[in-house]
Amino acid sequence: MTAQPQSQPRIPADAGTTGGVPAAPHPAGPVQSATWRRVPVTVWIAGVFAGLLLLAAFAPGVLATHDPRAITLGSPLAAPSWEHWFGTDQSGRDLYSRIVHGTTQSLLIGLGSAAVGVGLAVVFGSWAALGGRWADAVIGRAIEVLFAFPILLLAMVFIAVYGPSVQTLILAVGLGIAPGYARMVRAQVMSVRRSGYVQAAQALGHHPGRVLAQHILPNALRPLLAVLTLGIGQSIVWASGLAFLGFGVAPPSPEWGALLEAGRPYIIEAWWLEIIPGLAVLATALTATVLGKFVESTLEGER
Amino acid sequence: MNTPPSPNAPENRPVSAWQTATTTASSRARRRPGALTAGIALAVGSALVLSACSSGTAGPQEQAALTGSATEPVQGGVLEYGHLQEPNCIFGGWIQENFTARQVLDNLVSATEDGSVVPWIATDWEVSEDQLVWTLTLRDDVHFTDGTPLDAEAVAYNFDYWMDGGNGTAAAHLGGFYDHSEVVDADTVEIHLSAPFAPFLSTLSQSYFGLQSPTALQTRTVEENCTEPIGSGPFTVKDWKRGEYIEFERNEDYDWAPENARHQGPAYLEGIRWNIVPDGTSRYGSLLAGEMDAIGEVPAVNIAEARQRYDFTQYITPGRPVVINLNTERGIFTDQAVRQALSHATDREANIESAFLGTVPFEPSGYLSQSTPGYDADAAQQYPFDLEKANELLDGAGWTGRAEDGTRIKDGQRLQVKIVYGLNTIVTPDGNTAIQNFQEQARAAGFDIELRPLTPSENFSGAYSTPDSYDGSVGYWTSPHAGILNINYRPSTEEAPNGANTTFLDNEEVFTTIQQALQAPTDAEVTATFSEAQYQLSELAPAIGLYTQTNTLAVSDRVSGLWLEPAQGGPIFHDAHFTSEEARDSSQGFSAANAENEG
Repeated sequence: MTAQPQSQPRIPADAGTTGGVPAAPHPAGPVQSATWRRVPVTVWIAGVFAGLLLLAAFAPGVLATHDPRAITLGSPLAAPSWEHWFGTDQSGRDLYSRIVHGTTQSLLIGLGSAAVGVGLAVVFGSWAALGGRWADAVIGRAIEVLFAFPILLLAMVFIAVYGPSVQTLILAVGLGIAPGYARMVRAQVMSVRRSGYVQAAQALGHHPGRVLAQHILPNALRPLLAVLTLGIGQSIVWASGLAFLGFGVAPPSPEWGALLEAGRPYIIEAWWLEIIPGLAVLATALTATVLGKFVESTLEGER
Repeated sequence: MNTPPSPNAPENRPVSAWQTATTTASSRARRRPGALTAGIALAVGSALVLSACSSGTAGPQEQAALTGSATEPVQGGVLEYGHLQEPNCIFGGWIQENFTARQVLDNLVSATEDGSVVPWIATDWEVSEDQLVWTLTLRDDVHFTDGTPLDAEAVAYNFDYWMDGGNGTAAAHLGGFYDHSEVVDADTVEIHLSAPFAPFLSTLSQSYFGLQSPTALQTRTVEENCTEPIGSGPFTVKDWKRGEYIEFERNEDYDWAPENARHQGPAYLEGIRWNIVPDGTSRYGSLLAGEMDAIGEVPAVNIAEARQRYDFTQYITPGRPVVINLNTERGIFTDQAVRQALSHATDREANIESAFLGTVPFEPSGYLSQSTPGYDADAAQQYPFDLEKANELLDGAGWTGRAEDGTRIKDGQRLQVKIVYGLNTIVTPDGNTAIQNFQEQARAAGFDIELRPLTPSENFSGAYSTPDSYDGSVGYWTSPHAGILNINYRPSTEEAPNGANTTFLDNEEVFTTIQQALQAPTDAEVTATFSEAQYQLSELAPAIGLYTQTNTLAVSDRVSGLWLEPAQGGPIFHDAHFTSEEARDSSQGFSAANAENEG
């Protein structure tokens, strides 16, 4: 496959017509079976890993080898071995099982914050783009003000008020990343709004809601898909950063950010406590990105 | 009574820790009505902030050991020291502020390894027969760095300053006992107490009682006295870049070191750069890389190596060890049986051994650390690991139901408790591991413990200090004597609240016993009565001991002569020096000088 990032929706040459209106590039046609043979190996790997992540999230007991909370006082900081694949932490807990059991919370934080961020971004970005000069000016300035706050600071204020928990982390990080996405959504919606098929739909007197839902949003958001999937991994990293500053989920939670923070004092003597949870965050972020790009290019009709 | 050898000294601390003074028959005590109440009231607010004291580590018998050779010391050079936490002020009521205050301010007396005190600014002392008047004879050749003489007037002024809010912890120690000071002549001052206070001299050896220039206190702003207090000590504050370092510069006039100093006269070093390096890995790494000449608070995981590579000192601070204080006023722990059950429920000894990799001693007592004079080892041992006993106690208390996850239930309520602790301020990462181990072990008895690590701002804001904010809170409090029990267990009253009473225990019998101990006429009676207080507390079980608060110091071979003073375990730089001229010449010097050179 030769997916090429495109900033503008592409109208296929063979685009049909619906009710006299040139069809928007969305929705794409069904993926044809021949496509599967051309799915790159990276996507397969990402798919398998995503499957494992889902399994770990919904049935951690299947993958884990130990109780994630069970301490073994005699063997703290044991290196990876046959008994403990990823080694043990400072309480002698099995790191592999803790990472498996931490998947639920970490994915929840990653997906949740990305969803909160994007949700806010779509609402306010579209509003700014379509709501006229005043709405654009007010929302635009508000976004700029929010931009002036570092994400971490914003999140810390939020957590300081509401106390640390998974829900607070999701909201805090989601709020933190929303302004960036909102600005992108606004730019995309503005450009799509001026495109021929939207103007045609408007000229034909279609209800503005239908124009927005059927023509503008799908085309405006699609190019953002890859960025959004990157945001999932990034949200997990933000959450780790907050955990590092003491704003994370309370112990003994095996949330990955909390694992990274807990392993920090032992980074020289017990590298596995930092490297392996770090790799879990990295692999999850990569998986989300690879799958996101694949879906994006598939939807765009790259065959 | 059973007094074990002090872990910090080869033999028992002599009971003379309480009193090293001779008793005279001069009873000129004039009490000021209401002084006791006023003193207690003063103790209040500040004490709250202080409940979190020092930190450190130590190897028995290494404490206060000189770290280097004794050949003609090299003069000059700026020593790079890496420290865990930054103080709020150079002088204050927090242990971190004592470490810096000790470099700049002098005390009346200096603590020694055996728990007694030796002369410093006070060369001699006497106490009246009724133990209400302490007469201190002062050196006549001491002046503050602003030129003000350090005389009886200055000492009397400082006593009133500490007790009137200048130092909350000082007020917490002497509140209810200090009455007033009287200047007899330029070199003699009388301290009048409203009640006998046996550990008076030992108390004064802490840097909460560091002497400042009255002129500076009267003429400068609070901010100036905070960042640059004027004392008579071996160093002065040269520069403080918040978040990075504090620079101390040698006091060239210094010629009044305490009797237990390793040398008299000005410091050998030109100065110290007191670098703030909160992260343990970075701190130890900076020593490995040669950026630091010495560091404090070596992480447990590095101690074995530090012992090999560096001159390593470890000191177990006396006072209250690191304990879980249980809320006896509200919630589940109002039931004594439940407190006793939790005390029995976990194998704390194995926990501490594992969490600290064998580098820090387990402390069974919830009240005094094993290096405190008057520590009763038998009273400390009342709650060995006994899961069966814990279960019996909980069954007896009505916690007979079990939830699906094993948590006990009584009348529909889960045996769920919240324990809060200041992470990286009070509790080190190693201590955090110990607390999590405790949490996990307690599940076996049916406890569901929720841990709530507090950020530094949460910890110091006082948000988690009221009876409705926690079931348990973790803390320690250094003190060179068992009088710390009076600070931690004096019941709060409306006119004299006690923020340091973090268990909220209000027990007449315990309080009375502690008062009797503080006022007992002989050393033996002081020790025996404090022993009784420890048994009484142990029965009530308002606190669970975890580990001793220990201070560590690792020193590279480039410098020598550093030691940890025994009252609070702070580093002493007055006697430190570079081991060679090359080492000194490779030191960076003061930051401002560097900037000028570069400019």
